Amino acid sequence: MSGGENGHLVLDNVAIDFNGFRAVDGLNLNVARGELRCLIGPNGAGKTTALDMICGKAKPTSGVISFEGAVLNNMEEHAIARCGIGRKFQVPSVFRELTVQENLDVAYCRHTSILGNLVRFGSGADLDSLEKLAELVGLEDYLEMPAGYLSHGQTQWLEFALLLAQDPELILMDEPTAGMTAQETKKTADLFLRLKGRHTLIVVEHDMGFVKEIGEKISVMHQGKLLAEGSVEEIERDREVRAAYLGSGGISGA
Amino acid sequence: MTNRTLRQVVVYAAVCLAILLVPTFVDDPFILNKYSRYLALGILAIALSLSWGYTGILNLGQATSFGLGSYCMAMMLKLRTVPVHTGSEGLPDFMVWNNVETLPWFWFPFHSLTAGLFLGIAIPVVFSMLLGWFIFRGRVTGVYVAIITLAVLVVVNLLIIDQQRYTGGFNGITDLAQLEIFGLTFDAYGSSSYYLIAGALTVCLFLALAITKSKVGLILQAIRDHEARVRYFGYDVAYFKIFALSVSAGIAGVGGMLYTIVMEFASPTFLGVSLSLGVVIWVAVGGRQSLLGAALGAIVVTGMQGALSESETFLDTWSLIMGFAFVLVVLFMPKGLAGAVEALYARVFGKGEKAKSIARKAEGGLAKPASEPGGAE
Repeated sequence: MSGGENGHLVLDNVAIDFNGFRAVDGLNLNVARGELRCLIGPNGAGKTTALDMICGKAKPTSGVISFEGAVLNNMEEHAIARCGIGRKFQVPSVFRELTVQENLDVAYCRHTSILGNLVRFGSGADLDSLEKLAELVGLEDYLEMPAGYLSHGQTQWLEFALLLAQDPELILMDEPTAGMTAQETKKTADLFLRLKGRHTLIVVEHDMGFVKEIGEKISVMHQGKLLAEGSVEEIERDREVRAAYLGSGGISGA
Repeated sequence: MTNRTLRQVVVYAAVCLAILLVPTFVDDPFILNKYSRYLALGILAIALSLSWGYTGILNLGQATSFGLGSYCMAMMLKLRTVPVHTGSEGLPDFMVWNNVETLPWFWFPFHSLTAGLFLGIAIPVVFSMLLGWFIFRGRVTGVYVAIITLAVLVVVNLLIIDQQRYTGGFNGITDLAQLEIFGLTFDAYGSSSYYLIAGALTVCLFLALAITKSKVGLILQAIRDHEARVRYFGYDVAYFKIFALSVSAGIAGVGGMLYTIVMEFASPTFLGVSLSLGVVIWVAVGGRQSLLGAALGAIVVTGMQGALSESETFLDTWSLIMGFAFVLVVLFMPKGLAGAVEALYARVFGKGEKAKSIARKAEGGLAKPASEPGGAE
C-alpha cells in the first residue's frame, strides 16, 4: 500500500492541514485505469477533501498525488484539468445564465487557449455528438433553455453531460445521487457502469444501495485515514468498518 | 441560436446605419458636436458592457482607460498646435508657464501621428494587462475588484493633477490642434468628426460582438456565471479575465481619444470618479448584457442629462428626475432597456409555450444576487 509505483492515480501518504485540523491524514490510495472506485465513510472522514486535493481545489500539506506519472501537488486547477481530470461537485455547479447547449459547448474543452477560441464561432464541438449527449441525459428538448430554469434532477443530469462532453480520463464524483429518486439513481448506476472501463471513476457516496450496485472495489475512510479497502463483501465483513460507519446491519442496513 | 445571432447583426447594423445618417438631417454644428460627444461616451459604455456584462468584472475604473486615451490624443494634438500658442521649439504653453525648459521624454513619441494614435490604445491596454495580472492572478473577485479598480482610478487621477508641469494639472491640456489624417481635417463641430466617431462606434460594436459570439465570449460568460467551475474544464480563468479587461481598456481608450477630438481638450475629469461611476449607471440602464443596449443607454442617458440640464424648466430638478428614472429602471427592468426589448420580442414572436415561459421569467426579472463564485462547492 505504499503506492510508490508509477500507477494511474496514486495518493501517497497525503495529508492536509486546515489551521491545525488534519482533514486528511496520511491517506494512501491507488486507483487503476478504468476502475470504478467508491469512497465511503462517515461525515467528516475527509472524502470530499480527498477529491478536492486531486482536482487542485485544495493543496495537500504533505505527501504526493500523481496521475499518469505527473505530480499534481502544485499544479493549478486548470492545469490538472488539462491532464484529464474532471470533477462533479456536491452542490450543483452549472452555468445558470447559459443555455444547456452553451453549457455543453463550454464543457467541450479540447482547446483551452484564448487565441484558438477567438476564431471559433458557433458550436466549437461536433453538434451531433453534443445533441446525442443531451439525449443520453434526457435534456434534448431543453437545449435552448437557460440552465438556471432546470429542476434539481435535470441539473444533476446536465452535470453528468458536462463531464461527458469534457471527456476526462479520470472522473471525480461527489455524491452524484443526492436528491435523486430511486428511478434516477438506477439510471445513474447504469451510466456509471457504462463509463467504467473507458474512464476511471472515483465516486463518493452515502447511498449504500447505490454503492452496492456499482461498486467493485470500495475504500472506506475514517478520520482522514484509509480504514479498509476491498470488495463489497469484504467491507461488509470488516469489523472496524462496522464499528466506525456501517453499524451492525452491514451495507444494506446503512 | 444562429437565428438570434443573425437578428442581432441586423439590428446592430440598422442602428449603426441610423446613427451614421444623422448628419444628413442635422445641420447645426453645435448639435452635431453634442451628438458626437454622446457617441464617444457610447463607446466607453460598450467597453464596460464587455467587462461587466459579459465577464462579470465590475470595473469601476473604466474611466482610467478612457482618460489615458484622451490624454494621449491631447498630447499628440498639443504638439501640433500653431507655434503662436506654444513656447520656444514648440514647447506646450502650460510647460512654459510652469518653467519647464525642455520637453519631457514621455512627450517625444507624440510628435508622430501614428505613434500617438497607437499609444492611445496601447497604453490603456498594457496598463490594464498589468493591473489585471495582479488582480486576477491573485484571484481577487467580486466587490474587491471594484474597490481596487476605483482606487487605481483615483491614484492615476491625482497623479495627473499633481504633475502639473507635465500634464497641465487641473486645467488639463487645452488649446489643441485639429486632428488631420490623410489631408482630412476633423473639426469638432463638423460632420467629419461625427462620421469618424460614428464609424469608430460601429467598428467597436461589431468587434465586441464578434468576441462575444466566439467561443471566448461563451467562456467569458461562463466565468461570469461560475468562475470556479470553468477552471475544472482546463481554462485558465485569469488569462481570460485579463484578456477581457484589456480589450475593454482598448475600446475605452478609443472612446477617450475621440472624446478629446470633440471636446477639444483633455481634463482630469475625463478620468474622474463621477464619470467612471456614471458609465456604470448608463450601462445598467441600457442593459449590461447587451453591447448595443449599453451604447444606447449611454447615448440616451447623457442625451437626457444634456437636454434636461439645458432646459429652463428643469434647471433645478434635472438631477432629481434622472435619479428617479434610474430607480424606476433598476426596479422594473433589471436587465435594462435591452432586456425589456428582448422580453417583449420573445412575447410577441415567441413560438410555443416554452419561449413564452422563458420570456415571462426573463421579464419577471431573474434578479439573482451577483453569484459569488468559489463559495458554491
